[in-house]
Amino acid sequence: MSARVDDLLRECAPQVLGALVRRHRQFDLCEDAVQEALLAAAQQWPGEGVPQNPHGWLVAVAHRRVIDAIRSESASRAREERLALLEPPPADTPDTDDTLQLLALCCHPALSPPSQLALTLRAVGGLTTAEIASAFLVPGATMAQRISRAKKTLRDKDFDTPGDLTVVRHVLYLIFNEGYTASSGSDLARPDLTAEAIRLTRLLHRLRPDDDETVALLALMLLTDSRRPARTDAGGELVPLVEQDRTRWDAVQIAEGTALAERAIARGPLGPYELQAAIAAVHADAKTAADTDWRQIVGLYELLDKIAPSPVVTLNRAVAVAELRGPEAGLELLDGLELDGHRLAAVRAHLLERADRTAEARAAYLDAAARTGSLPERRYLERRAAVITPSA
Amino acid sequence: MKFMLMIYDNPDTRAVFFGEEGKPLMAEMEAIMAELKESGELVDTAALGDPAATKVVRGSGVVTDGPLAEAKEHFGGYLIVDVESEARAVEIAARWPKVDTAMEVRPLLGDGGEEM
Repeated sequence: MSARVDDLLRECAPQVLGALVRRHRQFDLCEDAVQEALLAAAQQWPGEGVPQNPHGWLVAVAHRRVIDAIRSESASRAREERLALLEPPPADTPDTDDTLQLLALCCHPALSPPSQLALTLRAVGGLTTAEIASAFLVPGATMAQRISRAKKTLRDKDFDTPGDLTVVRHVLYLIFNEGYTASSGSDLARPDLTAEAIRLTRLLHRLRPDDDETVALLALMLLTDSRRPARTDAGGELVPLVEQDRTRWDAVQIAEGTALAERAIARGPLGPYELQAAIAAVHADAKTAADTDWRQIVGLYELLDKIAPSPVVTLNRAVAVAELRGPEAGLELLDGLELDGHRLAAVRAHLLERADRTAEARAAYLDAAARTGSLPERRYLERRAAVITPSA
Repeated sequence: MKFMLMIYDNPDTRAVFFGEEGKPLMAEMEAIMAELKESGELVDTAALGDPAATKVVRGSGVVTDGPLAEAKEHFGGYLIVDVESEARAVEIAARWPKVDTAMEVRPLLGDGGEEM
C-alpha cells in the first residue's frame, strides 16, 4: 500500500508542480508548497485511502500553501501579487505539457550542471533532498543549499518559453552516467540513479513520442544498463567489455533497447544519441566479443565524429579501429589527441600492450592509474601494469 | 568533482591568523566559506589543532608525541569542495587568504568507475 502511494506521489509530483508554476510563477515558493502537499499525502493516504482524484487533491492543498505563503509575505509586496490570491486554483486535471515545461525549466541554462541534475531529480523525479545528497555523496545541508539556490535562480524565469530538449536529454544522460559509473556494491543506501534516469527518460518519451533522439537516448540507456550485471566481478572489480560474461547481460533490456534503437534509426537523419544507441545495439547483438561487427562500429564512430566531434568520440573510434585494423592503426588516431583525465592514457596503454610494446604500455598504465579519480579503476590499471613483463 | 584544499601553515602564520592582525583575514575566510555554503559547493571543512598536540602512531604500534617530521610547513586545515571543475577548486584556493602559507588542491578518489 505505502509503496503504491509513494509511486503515485512521485508520478503526480511534476504535474502538480508544473500546474502551480504555470499559475503562480515563483518556482521556489511553489516547490516548497508541493513538497508540503506530498508530505501531507504520504501521511494521510495510507491510512485514510487515496482520494478519487489524487492530482486534484495535491493541487488544491499545494495551492492553499502557496496562497498562505504569499499572504504572509504580502505586506511588503506589490498589489499585483495580492491580486493573484483571488485567482481560482489551477485545473485539477493533469496537463502533460506542464511536466515537459517543468523538465525544461529544471534544466534551465542559467543553472550549473550539478544544480540541473539535483533539481531535476527533486522536482521532476520526486526524490527527497536526503536521497539526492546520498546519491552524490555530499552532506544533506550541502545538497539542500544547492537546490534552494537553484530554485531561487528560477524564481522569475519564464515558464512558457519552449524548453530546449537537447539540454533536457543531456541532463538525463548525465544522471544516468552518474549512476552507471558509481560502483554498485559498496554503498547500498545510494538510490539507483540509472533506474531514475531511465524512468525520467521514459516520461520524456511519453510526452514527446515522435522525438527520435529521445527514443535513441532511452535505447542507449537500456542497452548500456543491460551490461550492468556483468561489468563487475564477485569482488567488485571492473570487468572490461571484451571480457564480460555476456550470458549475464539483461536480455529483456537488450530486446527493448534494440527495438527502440531500430525504430529511431529507421527514420533518420541520425543524431548523436541515435548513433550511440546504434553502436550499443551492435555490441548487444554479438554473442561473444569475437563476434562483434567492428566494421559497422567503426563506420558509426566515423559518422559520430563528423556530426558531434569530440576527443572522447575519437578515443572510442580509435579502440574500434584497433579491433578492425590492428593496434598501430588505433594508436595513430591517438596522436595529437588531448583529453583530461585517465582515459586517453588507459586506451593508449591497452593498445600499446596489444602491439607488444610492453615497456611503453606499462608506463602508460601507471600514468593512467595516477590520473584516475576512481579507486576500482586505479586498482584495475595497476593490476594491468603489474602483469606486463617488460620485454628484454 | 570533489577536491580537498589542504592548507599548509607554520607557527608564525598561525600566530598571525589567530591574533589581532588576523581579523581581516579571518573575515575574508568567513566570507568565502559563506559563499561556498550558499552555492552548495562546501562539503566539509575544519582547522586542525596545534601540531604539538599530534600523536604519531607507527606501524609497529609505537605511539610518539609530535608531528611526523620537523617541517617548515605543516598541514593546518582543510576544505572539501564539490565543484564543477579543477579550475574552480584552484580559484577557491587562490582566493583563500594566505600569509606566506601554501595550499594544495587534490582530487578525492571515488568508488565509481567505467568498464574499459
